[in-house]
Amino acid sequence: MVKDMAKDEDKDLKDDLFELFCFMLSSARGLMDEPKVYGPFRIVDSVSRLISILEKHQLADDFLVREKKKIEEGKYSVMDGEDKFREFLDGLMVDFAEELKKR
Amino acid sequence: MSSIFDVIKKRRSIRRFQRKTVEDEKIRQILNAAIWAPSAGNLQPWVFIAVREQKSIEKIKVMSPGIFDIPAAIIVVCRDMKIAEKAGNPELSIFDIAMASQNMLLMAYELGLGSCPVKSFNQKAIQVLLDLPEHIAPELLVTLGYPAEEPSPRERRDEVIFFEKYG
Ligand SMILES: Cc1cc2nc3c(=O)[nH]c(=O)nc-3n(C[C@H](O)[C@H](O)[C@H](O)COP(=O)(O)O)c2cc1C
Repeated sequence: MVKDMAKDEDKDLKDDLFELFCFMLSSARGLMDEPKVYGPFRIVDSVSRLISILEKHQLADDFLVREKKKIEEGKYSVMDGEDKFREFLDGLMVDFAEELKKR
Repeated sequence: MSSIFDVIKKRRSIRRFQRKTVEDEKIRQILNAAIWAPSAGNLQPWVFIAVREQKSIEKIKVMSPGIFDIPAAIIVVCRDMKIAEKAGNPELSIFDIAMASQNMLLMAYELGLGSCPVKSFNQKAIQVLLDLPEHIAPELLVTLGYPAEEPSPRERRDEVIFFEKYG
């Protein structure tokens, strides 16, 4: 019964980016009516999705791949209250600032 | 056999799914559970569209920021506004589809499937993708699939329960 249903690998960079645009635009429209905290959530989710695309096309470095994992593990803290989510975003900011200092 | 309370309490919103198809009989049973929900005046102002084709699922997903993986199936829960308007107050029909949706989530759990109610999707895009006429309004998506995660329960506030009077 197990069938490989993911056709994701077949898509080229243009298709992947087109889908990301659909995601970002439907987020923009949705956020007009959604809780304020969903705004930062969608942006951080966009970062993760964009890193996934880079990774798939061999364009992501180790730092980005690590951060994507961290985003995926922590992003749902948005549902555990704003304090937890703020702490999660602060953690990402520290990582990115330290990385920026090195680059 | 699990008690109804076990099912209610153990059901979780599942956002990661195995790449495995869900049997049509299971989908049918979930839809049967939906249509046995109560509805105001027994108007049954709903329409359920089971989307099983991967290509369509992927297209719905990209227009739904609230879906985080590719589920095996998506039930698009719609309101039939022509029927809903017969109730006098068409907003009542939101209660009806919410009850039908909860039935589906519980039925899915009982059948060993994961599910998640999803409100974060673009209504207009779904209308276009599924060729829905104007009066069929997509209100909620229910994603379905074999779970690939076991999330721990989110906290519940029990200070919301009172007897006889508030406070
Ligand atoms: C009306 C409604 C809309 C929801 N929309 C989404 C959604 O768009 N995406 C999502 O991942 N979860 C969504 N959820 C799931 C909730 O986040 C989830 O039910 C809640 O965090 C409690 O977790 P539990 O279902 O595991 O008990 C929705 C739930 C409801 C009732």
